[in-house]
Amino acid sequence: MPFQSIFVISEKKESLYELCFGARKLSDQVTAVIFGDRTAAENVADCGAKCVLYCPTESCIPEDYCKAIASEVKKSPCALVLLNNSVRSRCIAGKLGAYLDTAVITCASEIVADNGDIVCKRTVYGGAAISSQAFTGSYGVITVGNGIFGDIDAKYPVTEKIEQISEKPECTVKIIARNEKKSGGTNLAAAKRIVDVGRGLASEEDLDMCNQLASLLDAEVGCSRPVAENNKWMPISNYIGLTGTTVKPDLLFALGVSGQVQHIAGINKSKVIVAINKDKNAPIFKNADFGIVGDIYKIVPALIKKLS
Amino acid sequence: MKIIVCCKIVPDEQEIGVLPSKELDLSKASWKISQYDLNAIEAAKKLSSETSGFLTALSVGRSSALEGTKIRKDILSRGPEELALVIDDTHMFSDSLETAKAIAAALKSTDGFDVVLCGTGSGDLYSQEVGIQVGALLDIPTVNNVTDIRPNGNILEVERTLEDGIEVLEVTLPAVLSVTSDINVPSVPAMKEIMRAGKKPVHVLEVPLTDALPSINNLSQQVPDQQERRMIIIEGDDEEAVESLYQFLKKEIL
Repeated sequence: MPFQSIFVISEKKESLYELCFGARKLSDQVTAVIFGDRTAAENVADCGAKCVLYCPTESCIPEDYCKAIASEVKKSPCALVLLNNSVRSRCIAGKLGAYLDTAVITCASEIVADNGDIVCKRTVYGGAAISSQAFTGSYGVITVGNGIFGDIDAKYPVTEKIEQISEKPECTVKIIARNEKKSGGTNLAAAKRIVDVGRGLASEEDLDMCNQLASLLDAEVGCSRPVAENNKWMPISNYIGLTGTTVKPDLLFALGVSGQVQHIAGINKSKVIVAINKDKNAPIFKNADFGIVGDIYKIVPALIKKLS
Repeated sequence: MKIIVCCKIVPDEQEIGVLPSKELDLSKASWKISQYDLNAIEAAKKLSSETSGFLTALSVGRSSALEGTKIRKDILSRGPEELALVIDDTHMFSDSLETAKAIAAALKSTDGFDVVLCGTGSGDLYSQEVGIQVGALLDIPTVNNVTDIRPNGNILEVERTLEDGIEVLEVTLPAVLSVTSDINVPSVPAMKEIMRAGKKPVHVLEVPLTDALPSINNLSQQVPDQQERRMIIIEGDDEEAVESLYQFLKKEIL
């Protein structure tokens, strides 16, 4: 099914530009939907869209506009909707999909036009396979993985067409508080070097040793899912893997990481992988450029000495 | 409070093989409860005990996944008082809306509910959309990425964790909530619960799924090309090993 028009929905300015840039590669008929007032819309008038629709959110949350947005999309006989892959975007995507009678393709790692069809790739079975998928109906909703369209190397004219969305929001849940999260400050997705800590670490205090190594290597520190989720030794935003952050550093240094398939799916774009693990059968060694079968508690302190 | 927890039965990813055509071989994999649904079951069990509620588990799928008594007992040993199943071999349940429509149809056939709980996503396809789409199809409140649920009379106070903040939301019932995998640590069923599970009722629902059509065409599914790795592996944690590691790092990056 060829999609003549594309709707880009974003609550964040950066992802709006990235998504519009990607959308323009697929179609000239791009409509941007943003959450905020007319001024916010005017601020993004050069995003590449033909039209910017704004949804004021003083008294509601973006999700409350899903039916209103679906009505706008339905004005096109067939259309594609692109969102980023944030928690809120996935919620908007799911609702829109239900109203437009389509499933959602989540966290697409590639979106290409193929003979008039839009074909998406996404990872399934915890990283074991890549699935190629296309929508069968008149509408499709996709959440887009980080950075898949590459660097924005185009400038677009400022659009004059800025309008408030015509339908009113429908409030289904009431927001009673909102706390900004204290940001950890690490941006693993963009890090050039990463020390990746796994369950081989015996206690939380031993993170000091990992941090010390990281600082000597000028690296950020990430971890595997259980270290963040079960042990709670690091913030959830620091875990690497298919369901967490996908990284692509020049060097990934895995300490006591066994190498579960979901974790490997998050690190396999690294240029060089170094691994230390006690268990010589740990799957991480099949994915390492250089590995030592040994005790991190002996090797890391010795390496720190050499590096200092 | 009447609580329904959705759980998907998926092939065990440790037992998935690869065919020479680079497609996945699921034929030897045994079935298990999707790991993220274990958190939903645990959250449902807690909410049920806090509200003196009644907990039903619901699973939709093909007969190969749902016919086994072992898997049924596994679900029932984790807290639900009964299990409802929709077994249908005419569907693949391979896209979020197809599955959501089947669940919505099953929910409509029950005699009502207050809360439906889902996991963050399924262990196999992980679209993270089914719970939301169920809520939207039924036109009732729905929240994803829920990290805490506090019952307060006939409403729920729900904490939702976003990338850059935490929202506290008031949700009227009935509603559909998808919980994260860090909302709790699923408990291991006690022997008493495992024994009791075999005596709990299992209802196979007769629900027509004529509306639940796929909207995504799966063109291919292939094992990704493995990144070439040098795999220089040495054994031992003596001075010599550390020196080779140091030399490797020096050559690569320092």
